[in-house]
Amino acid sequence: MQKENLQIDAILVLGDKHIAVELRYNSKFSMLVRFTEEFDYTTGFEFDKLILEVDEEKIDLGRCRLFLEPNIDGYTGHITFVNDVYDFENLFFNQKIVKLQSIFSNLPLILSHKKDIKQAFKDYTSELNYDLNVYKNLFDKLDKEYANEPKSVKDSVQKAIIATEGKKFMAFLDKKLDELNALVVGYNKQEHENHGYYFRKQLWNIILCSKMMKRTNLKPRGYAGDSEMMRLIYLNDAQGKSTFSKLMHLHPVGLPGAEAVRNRRKLIVNKINTLEKDDLKEGKTKILSVACGPAFELQDIVRSPKDFEKLHFTLLDQDRAALYEAATVINQLEKSFKAELKVNYLTESVRTMLTTRELNKKWGQFDFIYSLGLFDYLTPPVAKAVLKKLYQILKPGGEIIIGNFHVSNPSRVFMEYWLDWVLYYRSESDFLELLDPEWKIEKSVYFEDTKVQMFLQIKKL
Amino acid sequence: MNTTLTLIKRPEWEYIEEVRNECNLFFKSHNFSENDSHSLMMTISELMENSIKYGTFSNPDAMVEILVKILRFQVQIEILNPVADSDKHYLHKLDRTIQWIRGFQDPFEAFIERLRLVSKKPLDDIESGLGLVRIAYEGKAVLDFFVDEKNVLNVSAIVDISNS
Repeated sequence: MQKENLQIDAILVLGDKHIAVELRYNSKFSMLVRFTEEFDYTTGFEFDKLILEVDEEKIDLGRCRLFLEPNIDGYTGHITFVNDVYDFENLFFNQKIVKLQSIFSNLPLILSHKKDIKQAFKDYTSELNYDLNVYKNLFDKLDKEYANEPKSVKDSVQKAIIATEGKKFMAFLDKKLDELNALVVGYNKQEHENHGYYFRKQLWNIILCSKMMKRTNLKPRGYAGDSEMMRLIYLNDAQGKSTFSKLMHLHPVGLPGAEAVRNRRKLIVNKINTLEKDDLKEGKTKILSVACGPAFELQDIVRSPKDFEKLHFTLLDQDRAALYEAATVINQLEKSFKAELKVNYLTESVRTMLTTRELNKKWGQFDFIYSLGLFDYLTPPVAKAVLKKLYQILKPGGEIIIGNFHVSNPSRVFMEYWLDWVLYYRSESDFLELLDPEWKIEKSVYFEDTKVQMFLQIKKL
Repeated sequence: MNTTLTLIKRPEWEYIEEVRNECNLFFKSHNFSENDSHSLMMTISELMENSIKYGTFSNPDAMVEILVKILRFQVQIEILNPVADSDKHYLHKLDRTIQWIRGFQDPFEAFIERLRLVSKKPLDDIESGLGLVRIAYEGKAVLDFFVDEKNVLNVSAIVDISNS
């Protein structure tokens, strides 16, 4: 339904008088009002209350004021509230009454959340915050010094600063991260959670300076590791306007956790290139990527006209935006090679795709299945069920590679405290426990160079 | 000592208390503290309530299944119930809600965010997500779910007990 068509019936109350009105969404913070009978109220007139009638329920929004603005699509003007600020977008489109000030009613709860924070952690965070702000001011001052130079000069000066003072700053960040790792080493799960929350509240303004940190914390698509995040990690370059922003982005994309993401892409590319060399195989090699994201690795896999003939991809992801990006990658490849790549796109959550009966009849069977950024989010019961399903749609002789961050990830504290990015970590034995002992398979667990990302590889016999 | 408890119950409210009692005995037999048992039982009853509310029990033999496994470092709770093909909307909502809750390092943030929704119009639990947020925040559990090809919904809660 069009936003402007949504209308709610309401009653304006003035003493004993009940005045019927119609309300329409105008903007997040305003509603248009139309009186159903003649009226003589002037701009600024206050009513005792406004009562909404939604699904046969009456909702009292309190004292309100009328502002006349004639001739808005037949509406009289708009209504604002005297004591409260409501979010009308939520009211009209989600049927939820959200008071903007309600966050303050939880203030005592939020403030008291710091009571269990250890003093040593408070000291660490406070000093770090001070130091980072000092660095920020210095880098910002330097930026101002050359702000009026031509772009080429500006870029070159900034590069020089990043290569010199920036390098020292990165070493400082590494040192502080080591200190953080040492400080929280004995914390239990709840302590990590409490202290992580406190940490981000203290350093929020610094976090917002970094493109990567901002995105993982704000999660615009509902989860931290979205396709844009993958793109930033693959790019591994200085993003942001100011020198400080660039450095605060460069640091996380250079950490072992991000390096592991880049390495896993190379690993899959090498694996598929090996599969392809099997020229004796008839027909296309069918490959399924589960939680494919933007599938940037296809740029490294599909590199010759022969690849278009030999490969058939099925890309599955819950995120339509990620699949759209994957389609863009493929379109570019098809344009470059003037050939058509066989690709099926499936928008489905792995948690609900398992309902599909006889998945192998619907999707076919695959020579190779890989999933790199999914199992880090699945708990054992779900991971087992997903793997079982993937095994069912694997051809005999086919292989599956599943990636999972290892419990020893040295970037784990950084990811949780700075990035608010939580994964389900596994050990080698946790990984192997996902397998059904009845399966006739060859199995192995191995790592990429940083030892952060672990792979479970199984071959169906 | 058996480390797995399996209970199969009719989808009726009166059985929630029975399940709580049986789980309590099970946790006691494994020397769980009163606090830990209480927290685990809260998780089990919240999930069982959801199961009764949103499950599809048109078949008179349809039941709610409760599985509790005590492992070395974690307790795995799974609640299973049938759902209908037409429940896709509810399942997508459940998916979004669980992923949203798990997106925060500290479930306290999800808890605070949900409290902001001062709704005078009653919302169902999945929509408000408050029951699930309670499991994550107070129950300290990692939530997840899947639906199998027989349309059985399996909602799991993993509770870390490495420091207990």
